[in-house]
Amino acid sequence: MLNRRTLAPRLLSLVTLALVGGALAAPKKVTGYGALGITDGKPGGTYTLILGDSPQSLNYYGVIDNNLGLIAQQLFDGLVEFNYATYRVEPALAESWTVSPDGRTYTFRLRQGVRWSDGQPFTADDVVFTYSQIIMNPEARAGDAASFKLDGKQVEVRKVNPTTVQFVLPRPSPAFLLQMRSFVMPKHKLVRFSQEGGAKAADINNAWPGNVAESEVVGTGPFRLSNYTAGQKVTLVKNPNYWKVDARGTQLPYLNQLEFLIIRDPQAQVAQFLAGNVDQLNITGAQFPDLKGREVAGAPFKVTRSTALFGSPPFVAYNFDAKDPALARVFGDVRFRRAMQSALNRERIIDTVYNGLASLPGHGVAPVNRDWYANTTRQLGAFDLRAAGAALDALGLRDTNGDGIREVARGKNLEFDLTYGTDSSVYPAIATIIQSDFAKAGVKVNLKGILSRNLLSTGQSGDWEMILHAFGDQPDPELRKPIWQPGGALYYWHRSLQPAQDGGTPNLARMQPWERQIYTIFNDAATTTDRSKRKALYTRWQLLFAQNLPVTPLAKPENIGAISNKYGNYIYNLGVIPGYNPVPLIYQK
Amino acid sequence: MLTYTLRRILGMIPTLLVISAVCFTVIKLQPGSFTDQYLEDPRFTRETAAAISRQLGLDQPAVVQYGRWLWGVITEFDFGYSFLQNRPVVSVIGDLLGWTVFISLITLLFTWIVAVPLGLYTAFNRHGFAASVANFLGYVGLAIPDFLAALLLVALVLQLGGTNVGGLFSPDYIDAPWSWARVLDLLNHLWIPVLAIGLEGVAGLMRQMRASTLDVLSQDYIRTARAKGLPQNRVIWRHAVRNAINPLITLAGLSLPTLISGTIIISIVLNLPTIGPLLYDSLVNKDQYTALTLLMLSAFLLLVGNLLADLALAWADPRVRYG
Repeated sequence: MLNRRTLAPRLLSLVTLALVGGALAAPKKVTGYGALGITDGKPGGTYTLILGDSPQSLNYYGVIDNNLGLIAQQLFDGLVEFNYATYRVEPALAESWTVSPDGRTYTFRLRQGVRWSDGQPFTADDVVFTYSQIIMNPEARAGDAASFKLDGKQVEVRKVNPTTVQFVLPRPSPAFLLQMRSFVMPKHKLVRFSQEGGAKAADINNAWPGNVAESEVVGTGPFRLSNYTAGQKVTLVKNPNYWKVDARGTQLPYLNQLEFLIIRDPQAQVAQFLAGNVDQLNITGAQFPDLKGREVAGAPFKVTRSTALFGSPPFVAYNFDAKDPALARVFGDVRFRRAMQSALNRERIIDTVYNGLASLPGHGVAPVNRDWYANTTRQLGAFDLRAAGAALDALGLRDTNGDGIREVARGKNLEFDLTYGTDSSVYPAIATIIQSDFAKAGVKVNLKGILSRNLLSTGQSGDWEMILHAFGDQPDPELRKPIWQPGGALYYWHRSLQPAQDGGTPNLARMQPWERQIYTIFNDAATTTDRSKRKALYTRWQLLFAQNLPVTPLAKPENIGAISNKYGNYIYNLGVIPGYNPVPLIYQK
Repeated sequence: MLTYTLRRILGMIPTLLVISAVCFTVIKLQPGSFTDQYLEDPRFTRETAAAISRQLGLDQPAVVQYGRWLWGVITEFDFGYSFLQNRPVVSVIGDLLGWTVFISLITLLFTWIVAVPLGLYTAFNRHGFAASVANFLGYVGLAIPDFLAALLLVALVLQLGGTNVGGLFSPDYIDAPWSWARVLDLLNHLWIPVLAIGLEGVAGLMRQMRASTLDVLSQDYIRTARAKGLPQNRVIWRHAVRNAINPLITLAGLSLPTLISGTIIISIVLNLPTIGPLLYDSLVNKDQYTALTLLMLSAFLLLVGNLLADLALAWADPRVRYG
């Protein structure tokens, strides 16, 4: 009797152990980052970061919101993720995958034994649910339905068995694997907000609002939601079911707790960092000297610099469809854009605006992106006002009435507005440098400041002449097609190319010859599966870009981060890049 | 008195209706749309923007949008949906209302407790050294914007090695349950905003108090009172101060709407969870129902403040009578 009573629980625990052991059969071992200074850490500790504002919801696919993105990164994972060092795609929730020879069928084998943070098993159903009910749902506000429609046809996702998922594409799409970084959501928690669960398509946006019960928000990520105090703080705690281990087999994340303080003002953020209330902060070149000075003077933190692959390099663009026809004619002339490039003092911008913490930009691809970058440094030219003046003279843009400003037509000065963002740490200074140098070349620029958040909508409205703006570099040019392909939704400096209807064919007839070439290149590269052929296509694009300057890139800012000395294994925090999250490796010394 | 109050309250309804229509029109006249903020994201497509507009009812004519909002307010006391926060406006505002009222009340209290005696003191001792110093400090307080004062205080605290440089709590106490330690932590943070916001108010109120006291002191009835041989204390407290404080009552009534809009910048600089930044965000992002509701709340507070001021005046000033 006594024996049996003690035996039963023992047996039970043995069985459970075996089950758990079996369930944890395939954790991912995170190794090979010695070159980045990653070492074995120890468990425990709290790490405090900053959010620029309150997350608008906790449903990643319900709102497009960077602050939510930063939190969602710690709560959810995708099927694949980036290598922290090479940015190559590697397994995450999918342990392995195969692509059919025709490049149209992707089969993912899911990692065994992964559990949601509430203990439910993660299966193929969750993946199929996430893609078919949420990401491909055109009513999901932050879904991505458009990327899953190729040539107007839907990508199909289906469950092969509980651990295998298959995507069938209407045509080959070599950058498709990058889409698989999308965060996978728990079907058991969200099904009642989906069409499958009987709700309306748009209802998915109402899942997990800001005041949701913390236990409802379930993920596979390194942390789970513990507390959200509106407007002040979001607290995450370690997910005991996380599926990554370090080189020694210690389960990740090392940290017990991850806190996000909600602080809007950049000055207030720095103050909180200096006061020791915040452990890591991404800063700008303008803030660098002060913080670096304090570090050198013995403050307990380090300021790190790293070349950036992601991020938004600023550019200037001229409106090919400017309302003033004389200006439109000049702006559409490549000789003018090249002439003005020699009046852009990139060195000075890098030195004074970025405190030297930037380098020369690429053309649509970051120079550090070894996979795709073509060296176009020579096409950037040198700062030479005399050459700029001579080139403008040759175009017939001369100062005939002796007022120091060239004329674009009889009695009409070559004078235009430069629209820039006033609430940025870099745009106003860059705009002033441009204005002063252009004036020396006899071109009058009037500064027109607006809120940075309105730059894109102003650009797309067509109501501008010259604009100072920035668009992000991404690891694969295919992901930036709407920006750089003529007629694309974000190719706003030549708006008259845009198709009458979304998804239609752009106005090919109005394209300049080089634009038509770039247009074709992007279409070809989107379906070419051979990597070297794609590389050749994108190299050709970058050269065309550099010679014809649809926009003129100015600089590529570096990543600068400040990190408290209390923590080890810090890798620069890129911000919201799905599939790139080095936080699980950070440990408290 | 009661009928007067009732009449005033009923009179607010058409006023608020007109204000809401004007506010909605102004919000609608801003260029751009709520969905503009999505444009820059690589995940964005125009179809998505159109879908969002449809979901939020932004594809309807403005009049319909306004009508629906108004109908919701009247029938269900529903002030619409916050596009930015994905939940009802009332709950968004409700989250922040407590702290907003708390900070404003504390600041108001601080302002009055400091400014009224100082104003009286400087009025009665016009040429004294201490009064000159107080006046000078008052000018400085008026000249320095509240957010700058806050930044200076924060810099000072940082220099002295403090960690209470913004917010209302240290990170550890933000979501902790109430305890004495948490109250202490709150007080340790609270003095910065109270001082920074209050300083400007103190200066203004002090000048106001001083001016109206001087004004009253030169009145005939004060001279009469003095001539009658009333004790100095009685002259001052019973006659002078009671009359001098009248304009301040009106001021206090008018200061109610600053609950909403008065602390926008300082709340951002000091990271305070108040309504100010919400108003700013909702206006900038065209989160129309949030903006509209906040503007209405502000207008409502102004009307209520006026009413309260009038009632308080009637109570304080024997010359004022409503029938």
